[in-house]
Amino acid sequence: MIRRPNQRRTLLLLVAPAFIFVFVFFVLPLIFLLSQSVLPEDGGFTLTGYVDFFQSRVSRIVYLRTLKLGLIVTGISVVMSYPAAFVLARMPARRRSFLMSLVILPLMTNAVARTFAWLIILGRRGMINQTLLSLELVEQPVRFIFTETAIVLGLTQLFLPLMVLPLVSAMENIPDDVLEAARSLGANRLTTFARIVVPLSSDGLVLGATLVFTGSVTAFVTPAILGGSRLLLMSTLLRQKAVILFDQHAAAVVAVVMIATTLAVNLLLRVGRVRQA
Amino acid sequence: MPHLEIHDLTVSYEKDKPALARFSLQIEQGELLSLLGPSGCGKTTTLRSVAGFIQADAGKIVINSRDCTNLPPNHRDIGLVFQSYALFPHLTVFHNVAFGLRMRRIPKAEVQSRVSNALKMVGLEAFADRRPAQLSGGQQQRVALARATVIEPQVLLLDEPLSNLDARLRVDMRQEIRRLQQQLGITTLYVTHDQVEAMSISDRVVVMNQGEIEQIGAPESIFAAPETAFVADFMGFDNHVRAAVVSARAEKLTVNWGGAPIELRWRSKFGSPKPGANADVFFRADNASLSAGAEASGLAGRVILHTFHGNEVRYLVETEVGEFSVMQDSAGERFENGAAVTLRPQTQKWIAIIEDEGSKA
Amino acid sequence: MVSRWMYASLVVLYIFLLGPFIIIFMASFGANATMAFPPQGFTLDWFANVFETSQFIDSFWISLRLALLSTIVSLIMGMPVAYALTRFQFAASGFVETVFSAPILVPGLVIGFAMLNFFVLLGDMHVMTGLFIGHTAILFPYSVRVVSASLRNLDPYVEDAAVSLGANRLRGFLLVVLPNMRAGIAAAFVLGFITSFNNVPVSLFLSGPGVTTLPVSMLSYLEYYFDPTIAAVSTLLVIFTVVLVQTAERALGLSQFV
Repeated sequence: MIRRPNQRRTLLLLVAPAFIFVFVFFVLPLIFLLSQSVLPEDGGFTLTGYVDFFQSRVSRIVYLRTLKLGLIVTGISVVMSYPAAFVLARMPARRRSFLMSLVILPLMTNAVARTFAWLIILGRRGMINQTLLSLELVEQPVRFIFTETAIVLGLTQLFLPLMVLPLVSAMENIPDDVLEAARSLGANRLTTFARIVVPLSSDGLVLGATLVFTGSVTAFVTPAILGGSRLLLMSTLLRQKAVILFDQHAAAVVAVVMIATTLAVNLLLRVGRVRQA
Repeated sequence: MPHLEIHDLTVSYEKDKPALARFSLQIEQGELLSLLGPSGCGKTTTLRSVAGFIQADAGKIVINSRDCTNLPPNHRDIGLVFQSYALFPHLTVFHNVAFGLRMRRIPKAEVQSRVSNALKMVGLEAFADRRPAQLSGGQQQRVALARATVIEPQVLLLDEPLSNLDARLRVDMRQEIRRLQQQLGITTLYVTHDQVEAMSISDRVVVMNQGEIEQIGAPESIFAAPETAFVADFMGFDNHVRAAVVSARAEKLTVNWGGAPIELRWRSKFGSPKPGANADVFFRADNASLSAGAEASGLAGRVILHTFHGNEVRYLVETEVGEFSVMQDSAGERFENGAAVTLRPQTQKWIAIIEDEGSKA
Repeated sequence: MVSRWMYASLVVLYIFLLGPFIIIFMASFGANATMAFPPQGFTLDWFANVFETSQFIDSFWISLRLALLSTIVSLIMGMPVAYALTRFQFAASGFVETVFSAPILVPGLVIGFAMLNFFVLLGDMHVMTGLFIGHTAILFPYSVRVVSASLRNLDPYVEDAAVSLGANRLRGFLLVVLPNMRAGIAAAFVLGFITSFNNVPVSLFLSGPGVTTLPVSMLSYLEYYFDPTIAAVSTLLVIFTVVLVQTAERALGLSQFV
């Protein structure tokens, strides 16, 4: 970095326009949202919105369900991505870059299209039910849509790339020499993987887990299509309160709880990573 | 009249902690002067102030009798070679070198011929259409040199230009830079932390430490006669030992050397020291000799390590005064580890430095 | 180190990631209207239906305009920020970085909801303006980060070199820095475009009567109809993105910025 004295004015000119934009159109709305959650339209400052939220059985169930599904999705993503990411990271560069672009592809397609596929797979007359019926394993079509399983499948498919990408880039940075050194010192494959690869890729794992978890607990499209109003998550609850029940105060509370949750997870994992380092 | 003058330059990055304090220096027309010192000594700050990238708090910079203190870098008429070369990655070698001429609105035909000439001088005429990424480190370095000199600047500034090259290439490029500089007769300020590089390339060397000049002079005099302990250490005096002063005369200082007095050249910041004061004695590994067995005329010791360096063998010798490193001709007498030896000083090449103010007579 | 079961896990991963696309593809050409699987027959009717449904065509153009506009504006404002972050040392740089990455940390649905309420507070605002503001804000993290990455790859001293050779600061930037930012800017553009073009949660609240983005209109279509038209739209979108992403990847190595 180059030190340049007398840079104040230049710096201000460079940063100010975007900063003002973000402040006025992003930060202020969030502050307003926060105030809405503690200032109902007909009264002064109160925390009853939050009390109501955590006392209501429905919203408590929804909140815990959201966290639970987020954890499950994150767990499945880790298990599915870890060995695959290792294979990808050890590949010749050309083949890897092709396969990586296939990982990115789903990220670049909208969530509605990707979730829609699960309707075809899991629907009453979908792929799985047709198979089960023709094998005479079941007599009636099984209901998959509007179940937690459906949401978990949809979310995992949606966010898996966010786990694979940071894992691969963390593992790429592990030199072959290090693995050979471990083997030469007497470690078998599994030990090498557990004692060398896992610790050295923990940064990628933490980043991936953060992305997948926060993505899962805030996603809207997948729970809207695969859970509907029967199986609400926080995001669909927010929409229901705001659009169907017109309760902006309660909706603001849900929104703030969502922000607080994602920020807490980000902070927690960041602190964990710093302590590890 | 000096070609580049720096007067009382003061630069501070943080308040009350000047990187340079009232720093002054004059460089003659056509001279190559090196600023030598460890990182953080202020040498790069000096160079970047001359270039105009650092606005000084106080002081004056004069290039060819023109006060440049308040001129931006693009009006100072300087040529600058960066440690990282800073070649323009998107331009070919030709257009890299032509850049400065374009900025000066030189007619196209002249640009063409001057760039070709400059590339010929650094032996890269065949590479004019390459991009920097397609060149080796040494070639990139040459392009940087050609780019900085083709504009025929008043002053050429080189900031650690060889530190990214491997050892052998460094020696070649050193000679090439010197040759080019002398051919063009260009006034040059050269920043380096490598004493061998500074010695071999410069007309004069300035050794810097913590924003101040420790010593300034011809390479030979700095090499042979450092004036401060810092310079002696930096100039590769391998051995350093404290010794008690016996007596001081104008020419020679007598110090106690393992019970026997020896006479040494000396420097002091404070005039004559009193007897019993501490002197810092410095000598190079090749300015002492070893012989087998214990003799009365030298310092008795024992070899604890020897390493082979081709023409020479380096011995680590333990004595009652301390451990010393001594270089001997490998064709001469050889000693094994544990051998008893006598270390004999070549006192005319040793030096004693008095820096402790308390030792003033 | 790489053993057979690891390869197996790679295959499973790719089936899981790409399988749904194949299913959408097949469904969009199937003749039966009720989405049974496997599809019977072959027809292009669903594609024809897409082009006859004004809901999709109108919202496509809105999404396209919105994505282009918000990407360009977020780049124009974000580039100087990236430049400041990579070329200056200043006390507030950590704070500035946090502010510009914040829109990624806050759930999109919450952003859309908060903005809608705020805009209502501000008074009458055109739906398109609201969408534009929302999208521009969420694209800042991408444009700032990607352009910063490309600037970090460029030796900061090339600018000084240009200035030492006689260019003023502005010319040095235009002649030396800007040409080397091209790939980064293009990558940021593609990334921003796709992010905006696919966004649902922010658009959901900010869309209004008659002004809806394509993904939101797909979502609301799904609430009323369950036929392969959505599969056909999805197929078209996948082809559209594959072409876009592959071109970008070939030209710029997009994956290093994601």
